[in-house]
Amino acid sequence: MIYQQLINGLMLGASYALVAIGYTLIFGVLNLLYFAHGEVFMVGAFVGLFLVVHLGLGIYGALIGAMVACALLGVLSVFVAIRPVPKDRPLAPLISTIGLTIVLQNAAVYFIGGQQLAFPETIKQTLYHVGPVTVSSTQLFILGVAVTLMVLLWLFIEHSKTGRGIRAVAENHETAALLGVDVNRIVLITFVIGSGIAGIAGVLDGLKNSSVSPFMGLGAAVKGLIVMLLGGLGNVPGAMVAGLMLGMIEILSSADIGTTERDLFSFLILILILLFRPTGLFGTRTAEQR
Amino acid sequence: MFAGLIDNYTQQIIIFTGINVIAAFSFFAPFKTGQVSLGQAGFMAIGAYASAVFTQKFGFPFAVSLPCAALLAGVVGVVVGFPALRIKGIYLLLLTLGFGEIVSVIALSWDYVGGAQGYRNIPFNPRTLGYVLGVVVVLIIFFGRLERSSLGRAMDSIHQDETAAEVMGIDVVRIKLMAFGLGAAIAGLAGALYAHQATYIDSTTFNIMMGVEILTFVVVGGGSTYWGPVAGALMLSLLPEFLRTLRDWLELVPVSMTDFFPLNRVYDFLHEFLDFENAKRLIVYGLILMLMMIVRPDGLLTRDALRRFSWRRTPRHA
Repeated sequence: MIYQQLINGLMLGASYALVAIGYTLIFGVLNLLYFAHGEVFMVGAFVGLFLVVHLGLGIYGALIGAMVACALLGVLSVFVAIRPVPKDRPLAPLISTIGLTIVLQNAAVYFIGGQQLAFPETIKQTLYHVGPVTVSSTQLFILGVAVTLMVLLWLFIEHSKTGRGIRAVAENHETAALLGVDVNRIVLITFVIGSGIAGIAGVLDGLKNSSVSPFMGLGAAVKGLIVMLLGGLGNVPGAMVAGLMLGMIEILSSADIGTTERDLFSFLILILILLFRPTGLFGTRTAEQR
Repeated sequence: MFAGLIDNYTQQIIIFTGINVIAAFSFFAPFKTGQVSLGQAGFMAIGAYASAVFTQKFGFPFAVSLPCAALLAGVVGVVVGFPALRIKGIYLLLLTLGFGEIVSVIALSWDYVGGAQGYRNIPFNPRTLGYVLGVVVVLIIFFGRLERSSLGRAMDSIHQDETAAEVMGIDVVRIKLMAFGLGAAIAGLAGALYAHQATYIDSTTFNIMMGVEILTFVVVGGGSTYWGPVAGALMLSLLPEFLRTLRDWLELVPVSMTDFFPLNRVYDFLHEFLDFENAKRLIVYGLILMLMMIVRPDGLLTRDALRRFSWRRTPRHA
């Protein structure tokens, strides 16, 4: 029983982690709470659904399509909600991304309607029994994609030149610019990566729950925020580990105390972390507390 | 008291706009000391549920339950304000967001206040309009006096530079805590007024988006002067009504004037566009938020802008 719960928690946590990675990347380079990230996730799920249902693509086509569409959406949001807004006022970019959140969510409601849509089964369902644990092929697929993405991203950030640029900008804008890093380009690339991953996470979430809805973004956004904080603001590997942890904590606790209290539990974790360890479990990339 | 003068629909709009102004002031009080809270909807929920319980289960009259609900929300505000003292910026934003969610999860799972079914049959208060207008006037006078008082200036100085304020001998901890508690109490007022107008509340009534909306009232209106929250809440609450009116005016245009090629297309487009259902209205709302932050990132009203209209001859750098 406990192993089964751990596996389920891992599944839940993988999607939290993918959303939180985008948050933490964007927070790292811009020091901004990018409110619209949950809606990018939602758009990804709908693009995936559209590709599967109307164009008859397989799941890989849906994943790639959603990734590309969301990456473009990320670029668009930089140009409409980040760059035109003055940077010296801390609340202005927050409000403009809140505006973008409202626009995206209601555009989805307007074009698709306010109800849930079923996400078709695109992977052949088989159940594998390993000892006491039962795993479905969908679960394995989701976990596989999520882990592959995380490993690739980690390699990219730690070992590529652009990744070094992202880390440099996260540490200090001015110094990075002085050392020849093109900050604007790095910000754009960060949005492309973060939004693309959110798009994939959206499709995986649709696959997991067999449904998508225009309101799925807010819940994912809030969980992503908690994970970002748990892992340390701006800390990408921290977000990955923290996402998996939160998923397992939630599943284990909901087995005991029920699903309503599960949310209470994760918000209590949020507040405890804020009070006693605001740098998160694994520390932040950014030197000063903000 | 105004029941005979205006129709029911207009009365509803004035009441909910007034409640939004009160909610905007509840954000403005802690914001004046630099504390940004996304949890004001949570304090509204506390006020709303408290007043519902006081009137329905304990039999208090509304005039008593309203201040009691505000007081309770204020006490919770001080309790939340203590940990909030230690943290700032994005951390405070996340803390207050978490607080708001915890309140709504508690409302969802506590059967005494209705649980998942929500709180039904809250006594309707026929005099809400008078109460709302009264509270708004009192708050405007209060914050106007505050802005010119030494306490108000102390709050502004904490907002600008906490360390410098402390060095100048300002009791930063006391003032920040007081401002947070005051904001929570004002939010409690707004929530209680809401509950007895809507007569039904549940755990989703005061959700994250409402907390976000309260924040946008103040930032869009302008956070540097007490007219900002009023302007922001009025503008963003009345915007949909204004757009509806535009459409009614459009229909007054005689058909003969628009019944030729380029104009009839424009007319049809505008007519279609202004035909607001909720989703479209909110899309326009979001676009306006984005545009506002590009055009006037300090908000609609700033102290400099107000000074230009002021009849008081105040020096520019007072």
